Amino acid sequence: MFRKVLIANRGEIALRINRACHELGVATVAIFSEADRGSLHVRHADEAFCVGAGPVASSYLNIANIISTGLICGADAIHPGYGFLAENARFAEIARDHGLTFIGPAPEVITAMGDKATARRIMAESGVPTTPGSGILATPEEAAAFAETIGYPVLLKATAGGGGKGMRAVESPAEMANAFATASAEAEASFKDGRMYVEKLIRSPRHIEVQVLGDQYGDVVHLGERDCSVQKPSHQKLIEEAPAAALDPAVRDRLHDIAVTAARAVKYTNAGTLEFLVDGSSVYFMEMNTRIQVEHPVTEMVYGVDLVKEQIRIAAGERLGFTQADLQPHGCAIEVRVNAEDPENNFAPAAGTLSRVEFPGGPGVRVDTHVYSGSVVPPFYDSMLAKIIVTGRTRESAILRMERALSETRIEGVKTTVDFCREIMRDEAFQRAGLGVDWLPRYLLERRTPAAV
Amino acid sequence: MFEDTIAERVRPLAQAFTDGGLTRLTVREGEFEVEFRRAPATAAAAAVAPANDVAPARPMDAILADVVGVVRFLRPPITEGMALDADRELAFVETLGIRNAVRSRGPGRVAMIYVTDGQPVEYGQPLFAIER
Repeated sequence: MFRKVLIANRGEIALRINRACHELGVATVAIFSEADRGSLHVRHADEAFCVGAGPVASSYLNIANIISTGLICGADAIHPGYGFLAENARFAEIARDHGLTFIGPAPEVITAMGDKATARRIMAESGVPTTPGSGILATPEEAAAFAETIGYPVLLKATAGGGGKGMRAVESPAEMANAFATASAEAEASFKDGRMYVEKLIRSPRHIEVQVLGDQYGDVVHLGERDCSVQKPSHQKLIEEAPAAALDPAVRDRLHDIAVTAARAVKYTNAGTLEFLVDGSSVYFMEMNTRIQVEHPVTEMVYGVDLVKEQIRIAAGERLGFTQADLQPHGCAIEVRVNAEDPENNFAPAAGTLSRVEFPGGPGVRVDTHVYSGSVVPPFYDSMLAKIIVTGRTRESAILRMERALSETRIEGVKTTVDFCREIMRDEAFQRAGLGVDWLPRYLLERRTPAAV
Repeated sequence: MFEDTIAERVRPLAQAFTDGGLTRLTVREGEFEVEFRRAPATAAAAAVAPANDVAPARPMDAILADVVGVVRFLRPPITEGMALDADRELAFVETLGIRNAVRSRGPGRVAMIYVTDGQPVEYGQPLFAIER
């Protein structure tokens, strides 16, 4: 086991890693920016080093200062958390070159999975289904011919596209010629590249992801799935749960099998997540995240496994302490992201001082946070203040518990997502389960213009 | 609470430090150790509006570490009181084998050296105070 771990992150995840280290008897070194001096992650670590000014380029992305801190403190490993440098293969490589174990997969795997096209190709070669799509199509006729093979509706996309530009949904062959011309012209104007391709349009898919763990001896297990379909219009997740409710058991088994097969195919080590779009009984691979994820606690609560401790054990060369058969889910867990954002104003992020902070407690409630009454939310970082996680024997009881937990939560000084998430808990559609990723954006529209519905 | 106890013990010392117009105060007692240093910016401010009857201090610039690394003194090393007739190197901070020069940013007198040779420093840590 390691003697000392450098935690190359901030906020709740830095504190989460600190807790895992301390439970394993491992000393910790926190890094912080000048804007985070008062953060809980700094207070709880055994040592703390300022690595730069508030802006992330100066601090949390400053590879030289972070690695230097690790060497000065005599750390033997680095945990990157999520975001920042967590999926930066160069950082993982530099850490390795300086004798610091990177707590995550090998840099080569991070690189392969980080490139969407490469990841899709590797997955397709291993028999993992991806969204059906074409190569570059020169004319509307070619596009129409390809659309026939996968069936309408299809999405016509500019290869250089982004932000919805150069993208058209095509419902029938009759629309193809016009859609191709306008989308291609738009892409040409925006990106100086009018090349188009066609992808299967999935109207209302669920976002379901599977957690995997792999050790350095080739053993890979999955820890079930999480449903992260409740996403803001920006596609950021807001509410997550495990297991995915209202999911065909055959589809569930298939997702688990695919995830383990895929992880084995890339010789995956440490914790990772495979994200899928699920449309009825169809399952499409989207991407693999080679890190711990924000929403990992719902899996921990349902499986009784500390994923961060497992990450550290695996990186230290230990074998997985359990087999697939040992892993049995119990009950249901739901997580709500408490963000410093205004749900009434397109979730615009807010910064400021939290004049009052009170988190919920009681049975089945877990709060992962780095803030407290009087703490300052700097403008430089992600707006997440806390994650409230609840468990219940059933999904119904977990929802009731989350409503209760959110009713106990008081955060004053900045606008937050607390009341909005409480409203979602009471929503019938959410309670019925099985929502697609398009549900929350539509809900927000209807909420804003009730008369138009 | 542990933190409250520390705060209670530190408060009167901080008061004495401020009232006395001191530039450095170190108190050790068993495992308890506290050191106050007047930040050069404060010293400069004090020069504008001197507290009590303390003689006005000359303006001072703090030279801070802008990287995380290990301080390496020059040979011969800079010493307190040394006069600097121009901008010059005072030391290096070594980061991943790269020597980052620490410069005086102009002429002056080395009023204080906050670090020792070989000491690890964090970003923003005061290294030298230069009286202008």
